Amino acid sequence: MAEKLKDAEDRLLESLLQSTPIADDGFSRRVVTQIRRRLWVRRLALPLAIVVGGAISIKPATQILIAAIKLMTVVPQGMFEMPATWIPQIQIVVLGAMLLAAGMLGIRMLEE
Amino acid sequence: MARAVASQDTTAFGELIRRHQSQIRNFLRKLTADPFEADDLSQQTFLHAWDKLQTFSGRGSFIGWLLKVAYTTFLQSKRKSKRYAEVLDEAGYIAQTESRSYTQSTDEVSDLDKLLAVLTQEERAILVMSYACGLSHREIGDATGLPVGTVKSVIFRGKEKIRTSFDIKDHQHG
Repeated sequence: MAEKLKDAEDRLLESLLQSTPIADDGFSRRVVTQIRRRLWVRRLALPLAIVVGGAISIKPATQILIAAIKLMTVVPQGMFEMPATWIPQIQIVVLGAMLLAAGMLGIRMLEE
Repeated sequence: MARAVASQDTTAFGELIRRHQSQIRNFLRKLTADPFEADDLSQQTFLHAWDKLQTFSGRGSFIGWLLKVAYTTFLQSKRKSKRYAEVLDEAGYIAQTESRSYTQSTDEVSDLDKLLAVLTQEERAILVMSYACGLSHREIGDATGLPVGTVKSVIFRGKEKIRTSFDIKDHQHG
């Protein structure tokens, strides 16, 4: 309460420190544009990382899977029900996952 | 408005920027004495405010909270400049632009600049918050992270410095 009681010195300081309002002149628009850009970058980052990571890892992942399946052939046939016909389909599955990620990204962009 | 902003509505936040940009830019201009640096810091302030919007409890005024973000942004920038100057010094450069004093940063030195130059960074920020932005001692305490008693003593000390440096009483009467 006491801080509300201003003396002449306070009023003088107030008048000295008061400044004229600054016109917006596109300042708020610039900041909002920057915020929207950052939001886009954040939204894109994860799907993009999935797509890029998927593209990079597709070859080694396929090789690992092929090696694993070959290893399984050593194991008695009846133990696992994983036919060799699956091998060529793996690439299609990975491609499908990438397309799904790209599709989700596209839907998000359309929503915006 | 706050709810709209909390739901990541950039248009609503744009309206808040339009409402408060003048006060934030004026506050930072008084702290930096450089309109370009102040505008850069103001932009950063609103970007930080957007990121930290969830932390605004709604207890105090929104402008008080924004000034807190602005002051933190200003202090961080000063720390970065200091580190940059140290690196340049170590590399053998003279970091003239970064180590300028408050009054040297503009070509024309106004009465207000002279007045603010006698104060420390902290005193300047607190006096501007109190007299230019109209914040209460409690709000200033929240913004600066200082106890209310310390805020009061900083204001008192700042006023004392101005009084002795500029002979306010004479100015007041003539």
